[in-house]
Amino acid sequence: MSGPGALLAVLALAGVAIAVPWLTPDRLRSPLSGGASALLGLGGVAAGVAAMGGAGGVLTLPLVVPATAGLDPVTLAPTPLGGVFLVVAGGVGALAAFFGIGYAHGPAASRTAWSAYAAFLLGMLLVPAAADVLSFLLAWELMAVASTVLVLADHAVRPTVRSATLWYAVMTHLSFLLLLAGFAVLAAGAGGTAFERIAAAQASGPAASVAFVLLVLGFGTKAGLVPLHVWLPRAHPEAPSHVSAAMSAAMVKMGVYGILLTLGLLAPGPQWWGFGLLVLGCASALYGVLQAAVNSDLKRLLAYSTSENVGLIVTALGVGVLLGDAGQRRVAEVAIVAALLLVVSHAAFKTALFLGAGSILHVTGERDLDRLGGLVHTHPFTAISFGLGAMGATALPITSGFVAEWVLLQALVHGDGRADRLIAVTLPLAMGVVALTVGLGLLTFVKAWAIAFLARPRSERAANPDHAQGSHDHSITMIAGLVVSGALVVALGFAAGPLSVELARAAGVGGVERVGLLGVAFPAVGVLLEPAALTLLALAIAVPFAAYNAVLRVRRPRRDTELPWGCGGVRTSPRMEYTATSYAEPLVRIFGASLDPTRQLTVEHPEGNPLLVSRVTFSQRLVDVIEQRAYLPVKRAVLRLGDAARLVQNGSIHRYLAFSFVALLLVLAVVSL
Amino acid sequence: MSHDLAAQLIALTTGLLLLTAVQQLWLRSVLGSVALLVVQGAALAGLVATIAVAEQEWEALAMAVVILALKAGFLPWALARTATLTRVHDGLDPGARPASGLLLAVLLTTVAYVVSQPLIGPNPTDAARAVPVGIALVLLGFLILLTRHIAVSQLVGFLVLDNGIAATGFLVSGGLPLTTEIGVLFDVLLVVLILRVLTVRMVRLTGGTSLPELRELRD
Repeated sequence: MSGPGALLAVLALAGVAIAVPWLTPDRLRSPLSGGASALLGLGGVAAGVAAMGGAGGVLTLPLVVPATAGLDPVTLAPTPLGGVFLVVAGGVGALAAFFGIGYAHGPAASRTAWSAYAAFLLGMLLVPAAADVLSFLLAWELMAVASTVLVLADHAVRPTVRSATLWYAVMTHLSFLLLLAGFAVLAAGAGGTAFERIAAAQASGPAASVAFVLLVLGFGTKAGLVPLHVWLPRAHPEAPSHVSAAMSAAMVKMGVYGILLTLGLLAPGPQWWGFGLLVLGCASALYGVLQAAVNSDLKRLLAYSTSENVGLIVTALGVGVLLGDAGQRRVAEVAIVAALLLVVSHAAFKTALFLGAGSILHVTGERDLDRLGGLVHTHPFTAISFGLGAMGATALPITSGFVAEWVLLQALVHGDGRADRLIAVTLPLAMGVVALTVGLGLLTFVKAWAIAFLARPRSERAANPDHAQGSHDHSITMIAGLVVSGALVVALGFAAGPLSVELARAAGVGGVERVGLLGVAFPAVGVLLEPAALTLLALAIAVPFAAYNAVLRVRRPRRDTELPWGCGGVRTSPRMEYTATSYAEPLVRIFGASLDPTRQLTVEHPEGNPLLVSRVTFSQRLVDVIEQRAYLPVKRAVLRLGDAARLVQNGSIHRYLAFSFVALLLVLAVVSL
Repeated sequence: MSHDLAAQLIALTTGLLLLTAVQQLWLRSVLGSVALLVVQGAALAGLVATIAVAEQEWEALAMAVVILALKAGFLPWALARTATLTRVHDGLDPGARPASGLLLAVLLTTVAYVVSQPLIGPNPTDAARAVPVGIALVLLGFLILLTRHIAVSQLVGFLVLDNGIAATGFLVSGGLPLTTEIGVLFDVLLVVLILRVLTVRMVRLTGGTSLPELRELRD
């Protein structure tokens, strides 16, 4: 399909997907609306593929815009780089919509919610397609408003939804304001709003730095970079899971796209730009993974893990910028490819994880890991898909996450710090941060997967899923969504070569070669990865063990034994196993200072006997330290300001009249001067 | 009408306008300031009639009649009736402070003279020369509105303010188009009638319309 055709098709499909929920009867609403949204997503993928091939096309929208000087027409013209994000947003949106057909129920399956989902998807598709500031900001706002409506879906059931939505709305509009200011600086300098014109102006100097800071902060808010991440751990758990998947896997990527766009619009800047990105990325990665490791709310954990992964992406971008400035273009290109690989892989595995979490929530009504367990027996599809997603998140071979982090480490290892002291110090530190992040990530997802699926069920609902109150059977679309997203995590890892080459071409960088059918090589740094060979190696190690096991099983069939005298050898009860909280306890101990845990231990004694213990209760509350120390003081100050405003607004009509009177006198005085 | 006569009549009517406004600021009696409104409305009607005859705009003459009927007749009557209905206690407004009121009146009138210079221009007509009175009336009306506590006396302030606006309009431009003037008049009429109904109801509900007692904000 040619470029403008694909864009027009996306707009038409969006119109249909937004209208369908209002036109269909209740019974068919979810299948038809979800199907229409999924088609819209696939349309986005098609447009993205066309754009990546350089045939993005140009579509000028006939929007009525006040004819002001310096305002270029509203145009959609996806670049190859935008194409990558179109594919990501479209693919994730389609999968989540498909999953949502079976998953959404209650308010999440209402007309408003499905319509908002289609609008949200359209916003995400228009952002990377926008070719000027105005259309970009319009699409951005569409995305923000529609997602706010979606987060709000369950507000009648859970009161926490409202406060989460409030946080989200405030942060997302903060982001919009910062972007508006940043783009205004750029547009004023370039004399127009088209990205082409702004890029041609090659802004530099203090104005460029101001725009850079504003835009990176604005996009960082959307991307969930620490310390602007506070909306993520609130909004993601409260939104319906397919929406969380779309928000986490696709929407936060628009922040990353924005940072890439910013770098493309500005001339190479001072060294602190790259350094700033690197610091921001490393801080997000570390803080995100640390919070994820100690959280036992499954969706909150995934939200923090999003912060972590975006942190890694921005770290890769920072390394790319830093090395590019230092003249090491070839290594910088590896870092940029790593960033894009991270984007794609995070989109794949976070979709699988959030859909898996949604599936767990759907059948048990629980998202607290401390109350889950044993789901591998009852829900194998969910277990496998979530497991594959977890493997991707922990960068185990041979998933897409592994390929991406391997490339990132190559860039870090091969960066040459001999000429520049700053690079010499930061690259090894960044490497350490990445290593620590990956390690803690492993811990996080071992906890998440093993305790939810392998451990013994810790609650009635977990033990008897599907019978829990208000839960529903898995529909075929949910299983399909889970399987496809899980398979994608592995498939993208196997297709490391073709994927890397395509991403590098879209980003306009070289230095990547395909080796054989699937392998990838970076001649500039002299490294090579062959997924097929890696798999063969893994099989060569695993097959003998499996064979040995099989032989043993035949020779000595397993017998269940009940020990007459237990002495601790009896089969463990759920209370004797690790909980999510106890598994992460050593971490809380080590990082106590930055986690600030509040613990409460109550020991109850039977009456009249202080030596015996009848009951022990333990509870632990972890707070987001950044939220406590940075945001709440601001909130309190705003409230104080609001209280102070009562001096002005006290309900006395005399005072209001006095304001008008003074204003009148002032106007008269000004006029007469 | 001779030029001199017109000039003297304008001076007389605007003088009356200013005098009544200042007196209203000075008086504490609610009914007294309502009575002064009659004089003020008549003066305004006279001013409009004078300008109409002097500039031979006969439409404005009709306007003068309407103004006389409404501002010197109906509105003061409606206010007086409201005052009786609501049984304004002892007929005095606790917000009125004669001494400081007069002082402020002097100040505001001076301000009006100073700020109206640009409106008058270098070669003023007789009417334009009196523009400061109109503006002073606006400011004094505002001051009454601002300081009085009882609803009826606030309405008096509102009407003085409106008289000021009308006077300024006529003095500057010889009157606005008839439809606009009538529209404004009926707006004022509506405001007064609605507030009258509200005032009566408020008195029934709360036993008074003293504003300091009615200042709790509710969501």
